[in-house]
Amino acid sequence: MGAYNKQGQLIRVVQAAREKAADSRKKEEQGGGRQQQFASNDNDNLDAKKDVEIPPETARDHAPFPMNRTFISQPVLTSALQHHIWRQIIHEGKSVREVSAEVNVEMSRVAAVVRLLEIEHEWKRIGKPLAQRYHDAVQGMLPKTDWAAPEWDAEHGEFAKREKPNHESINDLPVHAATGQQIFLPTSESRHFTRADAAKVFDKRLLPADDRVPHPELTVMHKEVLEGLSEEERRERAEARNAVAERKRAAALALQAAKEAAIKKVDTGRWEYRFTEIKVDDAGKDGRGLGATGWRYGAPLMDRSRGQHKIPRAV
Amino acid sequence: MARKRFHQLKKVKFRATWNKYNLYNLSRLQMPRTGGLTFFQQKWKAKSISRAYHGEQIREKQWQRMFTPRLNAVVPMDHKYLAEFDGSELAAGRGSGLEQPLGAEKGQAKKKKPIPYMHQTYAPIERRLDMAVWRALFASSARQARQFVVHGKVKVNGKKMIYPGYLLNPGDLFQVEPESVLFATGAPKDITQKRAGKKIQARRRGVNVSMEKLRTQAAERRAAQQAERAAKKDPSEALIRTRRTNTMLQDNLEYRITRQRDIAIMIEAAEKKMNQKRTAVSVKVKQKIRAFLKHAKKAQAEAFRKPIQDMEKERYDLVEEYRLALKSPKEEDKILKLQERDENGTGLDPNSKDAPISKYRKRLSEARLAGIERALAQKEQEVVDPTKPYATPWRPRDYMSAFAFIPRYLEVNSKICAAVYLRHPVARPGLTEVPTPFPADIQQLAFTWYLRRR
Repeated sequence: MGAYNKQGQLIRVVQAAREKAADSRKKEEQGGGRQQQFASNDNDNLDAKKDVEIPPETARDHAPFPMNRTFISQPVLTSALQHHIWRQIIHEGKSVREVSAEVNVEMSRVAAVVRLLEIEHEWKRIGKPLAQRYHDAVQGMLPKTDWAAPEWDAEHGEFAKREKPNHESINDLPVHAATGQQIFLPTSESRHFTRADAAKVFDKRLLPADDRVPHPELTVMHKEVLEGLSEEERRERAEARNAVAERKRAAALALQAAKEAAIKKVDTGRWEYRFTEIKVDDAGKDGRGLGATGWRYGAPLMDRSRGQHKIPRAV
Repeated sequence: MARKRFHQLKKVKFRATWNKYNLYNLSRLQMPRTGGLTFFQQKWKAKSISRAYHGEQIREKQWQRMFTPRLNAVVPMDHKYLAEFDGSELAAGRGSGLEQPLGAEKGQAKKKKPIPYMHQTYAPIERRLDMAVWRALFASSARQARQFVVHGKVKVNGKKMIYPGYLLNPGDLFQVEPESVLFATGAPKDITQKRAGKKIQARRRGVNVSMEKLRTQAAERRAAQQAERAAKKDPSEALIRTRRTNTMLQDNLEYRITRQRDIAIMIEAAEKKMNQKRTAVSVKVKQKIRAFLKHAKKAQAEAFRKPIQDMEKERYDLVEEYRLALKSPKEEDKILKLQERDENGTGLDPNSKDAPISKYRKRLSEARLAGIERALAQKEQEVVDPTKPYATPWRPRDYMSAFAFIPRYLEVNSKICAAVYLRHPVARPGLTEVPTPFPADIQQLAFTWYLRRR
């Protein structure tokens, strides 16, 4: 809708026509102005419009609402790029973080793509029909971020390098509520006042931007390059960082497993019964403890009263 | 419960639908004239026209409770900038960065785009399940999306969710029934398809149930006898040979009985093999048999409960599993050869159809099968089926492309009609993620309206 003017003409075509007309007029003037212009301006425009081929779309043409240019229909991932992401995660065993930085796609989106593709593969396996025609139609209506496999360069014996897709910015810093206020902080002129100091002024526990972005490791890696470290050293440091992350992940998994193991499971084939240990003392002295199990006699049940959530809040 | 003039033309109100009148209204949408209006009147007007689009299906009080003055925004950071500068250059000089000589930076300095905070006014509404379904292009209006949710066509994280007001959490995956999506986004049937569909439905309704039952039973008995004959050689053969008879009845009673009996025979054979004492059965084979027994017993138990289509799908898998479990490859070859000798006498023509299947021939036939399957799938897409509630072969409805966009906080896979709610919508410099047709001025007035405590 934003690509058209009130008369229903494509704005970019009209503009191109106007530019072409202006160009030709300039040329004529340069030619000496011997030829006189008989045609009116309007006719001139129309003639030019016929010659002009439609210029390529820009982001401006993707605004669905003419009155609001700050919202545009942004590109979506093509199936090729989705499959590339899925392959990188499932077959190459790369981490979501790595793949995200590689294809310029947010980490949460990378994870979502893999989840959705897994479901798609499952549908194919069980022979459930896909909405292919609908998919094709929708893809035809939206701008896309595409990906093509790199071609084999026989001369150099390696894959030809390609620009990586630029889907979205991956290092988005959320605006923290504490930074909303304007603070005038008097300090000495000689003080080296950095981002970390500024964060401290806003809130004692606020971290600097370097640590609050989703990809802090990119900054660290670039810093190492600036320091002039050799490739080997950088690799070693990256491995050390990965090892720490892996240890953390393993610890989290172990905690989860321990929690699972604490639940006693009895599988009867038809049902799986799960028994969790509870403590009677949780009810407390007055027998109305919130964490306690079961119906507490005399304690009001608030679940149907005003202001309480009556529909599920998480699934 | 849409009111009488939902897409009115006299007083322009842009609605959350793909209606063609709505598209016309979008082209006519203008800033309301504020000259001569009090501030209260301006706010009222802004609230009124923006609420007609944002969560019109939600009660005003409900929305007021959802409203929050907190507006989420992000600023994209360049990791190279973060590495090269520690931020002290912004505090240099007298506290706001070093002064640049006049005109030094004019050429290269990028104009900083402001963050459109006011467009975040209605962001909380985008978190609702019905709005997300609509934004993912699975319904043609917010109200239709709401209906899909209420009618149980929408699943969240694999579970049916019937509350349109469910607030999605980051990472929630929602799926909509593909048939509903095709209906919502597809072109309507033309008159010939409508008539054909009605005719088919009338025929279905006019079936003489008892006669049909009798006929079906007879046909099924015949099929069962055939299968029994086949089963004398190999019990698993029966499961393949028996065909489901075409019937208009939903309960294929006889068919189900034979199916159950076949499975019982297979189970018996498998158990016999498992418990035989004369020849030792290897551990691997035993594992296979055990797995088969588990599946077969489940299928046996569900023979009268499962939909017939599911049983059809299952039976080939079961047969294959049975053969893998009970026969070593050598044995199977032997059986194949024996059968061929039985059928063809002694002489075997290698070029005949019934010649033993070589690896090459097998691969060939598989490739051919795959080709046929692909062609079939394509045909299925293009098939005309007047019983569907939309025009077949499917095509998008008119004017859909003018409304088609997918906001960045959703990741949509339209092939399976599923999407993931990645995060809450945010504003970023020069861009907003909350789809809204109104400019910042109207949004700000509306925001101020809801900001006040009444």
